[in-house]
Amino acid sequence: MIAPPEDGRLRLTILGGYLGSGKTTWLRHQLYEGGFGKAHILINEAAETPVDDTLLASQSAGVTMLSGGCACCTGKDDLVNALKALCDAHSRQKPEDRKTAQIVLETSGLADPAAILDAIQQDSVLVHHIRVAEIIVLVDAMNAADQLRTEHLGRAQIEAADRIILTKVDAVPDAVLATVVATVRHLNPVARIEAAVKGEPFALPDLPAVPPYDLPRISDGGEPIQPTKIDIPDDVDWATFSIWLSALIYARGDDLVRVKGVFDTPAGPLLLQAVRKSVQPPELLPPEAAQRQNQIVFIGRGYKGDDLRRSLDYFTRG
Amino acid sequence: MCNACGFPTRPGHWTDAGADNAGDRLRLQMRRAQILNRLLNGYGFKARPPGHGPGFALSSFSGRTTLLPDLEAVWQEAAQQLGHPIDPLDPRFTAAEPNS
Repeated sequence: MIAPPEDGRLRLTILGGYLGSGKTTWLRHQLYEGGFGKAHILINEAAETPVDDTLLASQSAGVTMLSGGCACCTGKDDLVNALKALCDAHSRQKPEDRKTAQIVLETSGLADPAAILDAIQQDSVLVHHIRVAEIIVLVDAMNAADQLRTEHLGRAQIEAADRIILTKVDAVPDAVLATVVATVRHLNPVARIEAAVKGEPFALPDLPAVPPYDLPRISDGGEPIQPTKIDIPDDVDWATFSIWLSALIYARGDDLVRVKGVFDTPAGPLLLQAVRKSVQPPELLPPEAAQRQNQIVFIGRGYKGDDLRRSLDYFTRG
Repeated sequence: MCNACGFPTRPGHWTDAGADNAGDRLRLQMRRAQILNRLLNGYGFKARPPGHGPGFALSSFSGRTTLLPDLEAVWQEAAQQLGHPIDPLDPRFTAAEPNS
């Protein structure tokens, strides 16, 4: 992905994954290795279980525990307040410290990362102070099959991810691992897939090409998602495209899991990113960084890819 | 919000990115109203720039006019009046040959 320019906003990495997928283990190891620099860590626990956070505290700029419920629903206000406090502290730092400051949010296993993204977008202060750098989702390779068959949440977490890390991969045979990888790729074809064992990076072996798990339709989930890449024709300008996309997201936001791409506008190339109904404030890219201009990827369900093209064509030509 | 030009409409509404000077913003607003009308006509709506700031004035066939801050609000208001959202993937927009 193209790295957006520094805009002074505080970077936030959202770390998600189902209950017991190994989020804390992985994060501890990353911090120990210096993976996130001196990041401030926010930890959300849905249940009020005591967590041994001493190691995290010693390796980070600070740790804040949010234990008043899951941050994507009941604990949303706590999360927003904690983030605001961090933004406030950030704005008082020296300029040289400010550049390296970042936040890592470890969500509860019950959180939908898209809902957290939405909470940040909806807040008029946070939207100007926080840039979501990456959504990392951990998937437990041992239990993925059961979770993905029955839990809509497990699928939603994977769909929202930029990077997926399979954990406990040493505990499953290659045949199972291959099927898990195929299933995850089927659910989110654009995310980078990596693996880890007890937090340490693990190179995925050469896996046989196998079909993904047959995921049954879940009442609150729906059919699996499909990616569609659209090369925007030259005669589609930003005015047309923004009208079309805003209408599409309004009407089909629940089915459009991801929209991602770069669009050329009068002000310069814009990096567009949306997760369901929540569109991140587009970032203006330096002209030379945008090689994949006017190519937008739609990942979603409930429509035909060709219909997207035909509809955009209709909006353009009338 | 700037008193003179009315921008930004609301912190971070994404459709207002892409035009960072007053001229571009005005052009974008005019052009958007044109395109919107092409689309909204079929539903009995008419959109125009409100004349003094961002957003659109949306008039419906009943004569009711509503001032709306941005595109998202336009879709929301239209959906409320129609009873369903205007869906760009509706067959009328995805037929192989445009019929208007």
